[in-house]
Amino acid sequence: MRLAAALASVGMAVGCAIGDAEPPPSPAAIYEQDPAAVRRGRLLFTGTCGGYCHSTSPGNRDAPYLFDCTWKHGGSDQEVFISIAEGVPDTRMPAWQGKMPEGDDDLWKLVAYLRSKRSCNEGS
Amino acid sequence: MRLIRALLCVSVLSIFPSVSLAAEPMSEPAEIVLDPLPTHWIAPKPVGGSAGPVTQAMLDTPFAKGSRWLHYGGDYRNLRHSPLTQLNPKTVPKLQVAWAFSTGTTGQFEVSPVLYDGVLYVTSSYNRLFALDARTGELLWRYDHQNGRNLPLCCGPANRGAAITGDLVLMATLDAHLIAFDRKTGAIAWDTEIIDYTKGYTATSAPLVVGDLAYIGIAGGEYGIRGFMDAYDTKTGKRVYRHYTVPTAGEPGVETWAGDSYARGGSPAWTTGAYDAETDTLFWTTGNPSPDWNGDERLGDNLYSNSLLALDPKTGKRKWHFQFTPHDVWDYDGNSHIFLVDTKVDGKPRKLIVQANRNGFFYMIDRMTGEFVKGKPYLEQVNWATLDAKGRPVVNPKAMPAEDTLERTCPSNLGGTNGSYTGAYDPDLGLVFTATIESCQAFAKGISVFVEGMPYLGGLPELVDAEAGKSYGNFVAIDASTGEVRWRHREAHPMMAGSLTTKGGVVFSGTLGGEAVAYESKTGKQLWRFRMGGGVRSQPVAYELDGRTYVVYGSGSFASMDDFAGGPDRIPEGGHLFVFVLPEG
Repeated sequence: MRLAAALASVGMAVGCAIGDAEPPPSPAAIYEQDPAAVRRGRLLFTGTCGGYCHSTSPGNRDAPYLFDCTWKHGGSDQEVFISIAEGVPDTRMPAWQGKMPEGDDDLWKLVAYLRSKRSCNEGS
Repeated sequence: MRLIRALLCVSVLSIFPSVSLAAEPMSEPAEIVLDPLPTHWIAPKPVGGSAGPVTQAMLDTPFAKGSRWLHYGGDYRNLRHSPLTQLNPKTVPKLQVAWAFSTGTTGQFEVSPVLYDGVLYVTSSYNRLFALDARTGELLWRYDHQNGRNLPLCCGPANRGAAITGDLVLMATLDAHLIAFDRKTGAIAWDTEIIDYTKGYTATSAPLVVGDLAYIGIAGGEYGIRGFMDAYDTKTGKRVYRHYTVPTAGEPGVETWAGDSYARGGSPAWTTGAYDAETDTLFWTTGNPSPDWNGDERLGDNLYSNSLLALDPKTGKRKWHFQFTPHDVWDYDGNSHIFLVDTKVDGKPRKLIVQANRNGFFYMIDRMTGEFVKGKPYLEQVNWATLDAKGRPVVNPKAMPAEDTLERTCPSNLGGTNGSYTGAYDPDLGLVFTATIESCQAFAKGISVFVEGMPYLGGLPELVDAEAGKSYGNFVAIDASTGEVRWRHREAHPMMAGSLTTKGGVVFSGTLGGEAVAYESKTGKQLWRFRMGGGVRSQPVAYELDGRTYVVYGSGSFASMDDFAGGPDRIPEGGHLFVFVLPEG
């Protein structure tokens, strides 16, 4: 329900903005401008996503490297949010929706941290 | 037959996809239900020779005949020392492939095979169990365990082997079952759920059997479990007791956990223990407290994580303990291979347990009392701590995980050794042998989030040496009476393979590059090297049948762990069993 609410919020924001020149930025894009939010995203990644799962450097893990702009399940902010929130069935990626201390805000800060650290040439 | 029928149905459907519609165009398509693919092939008639059930006397003296390998550790003392003198420096270079066998699975192949009555019992990753003719490799029976979904695996789908007792072969599973099979047919005698795996538990180790009890420890230190090891009645599969490795409120040791952090304190027991018949003592070891890399919420020593436990085997009551790494924040599990060794220390006879611990120190512990005797680094690089006179680490403050400024710390989270592989001991030479990982990392601390059944890590290791291509391995011989390293044989990459010694003076192990290797036990001189392909994570064993002498290896590693260690990155996963034989004459 919380995921649906979050996406609905984003959807409404996008829908309201159809007539505008540009859609509003995602929560992650906003958080990416806030060093404290990016730091929290980094500490959440360090404490819950790294370790024996995602690496902070390219490698040969079963959990994908998340900073090279190559996405298996969609690379938009919303798609990354959904991957974190709902997990990926039949992989080791669990669903984090409703499990972070600060709820969806923490998930968006994780996405903001991933955005801030990504390194790719496409500008995506 | 069921497999053939199922495949025929699939083939027909592939060739004639619209057959049913063409035959009955006006009616609803008939629903075609395929038989499920088989996962269990029971032998039509009993396999093996004429040997009777495995007795306690056999388990007590497993090498009375060279045609047996009954325990994960070789014997109850965990020495993994074969009595076969014909495997010696002159003959081993002549080893040839006798036969090979594919498991059909990926992930690390960490098995220590069991051999009895001419049959090899081999477990693979993802819990396949094969009974193979030890002379020819012919498949006699097979069981593919159907693990539940979304297994809580931190570190790969490993299984390290089976146990054998009576006419039963026992295997623990990734979804936390303990299953007993009729050794002659593969039929399931009983199947017991150890615990609900969805709460973060899994089982990867080989059980240990003493008398009527089978012992199995649980994994899950990366999921905030409450660790334990269990004893089960081998005849019925019913649990006799559970020994928790973390105390609860009101129990001794709970004061070593801040607040209620003990409730999710980890301390798994994911390796196989040892047994001292002389004192009727079961020895078991434990792993890291949870979360791994952030100890802020669990201040204190966090008993009984990273400890050696001496237990009454019949009740599970603890006699004493020794904790190697109090308040661990590096994932320095205390459960690397332990050896029960009788030797002299400073001229006096001592009954010891010795261990090349994951934290980089070689420990000598009095196995009658738990007293620390000596401890020395066995790695070339250890900077996280030194040991005081009682064996307690004096921690280098710079080695503590941090949020921002990180320091290169040795050893890595995989340790100098770890519980995923064995060592071996040559009592004639008094030497412990082990494959080692020389790699340093920088430990980062983050926000810990505990949710039952979810990873509970608290931080991460930055792969400093692995990324720089500076990780390497040594195969090491350590004097069990002094703790001094006697020799090292350097390998290009970290080593994470088990070991086997022989009375003939040879020690076997393997490389992450996929080679089986043998060294002269006394000197470390390389005697033999054979490229099997998959990285070696298995525990080699040896046996003699009909006058022929065999050495068995599993070949196949898990890429994620190879990556962690700084191993070669182009070695594909895959499980193959290789059986080598000495030439006739």
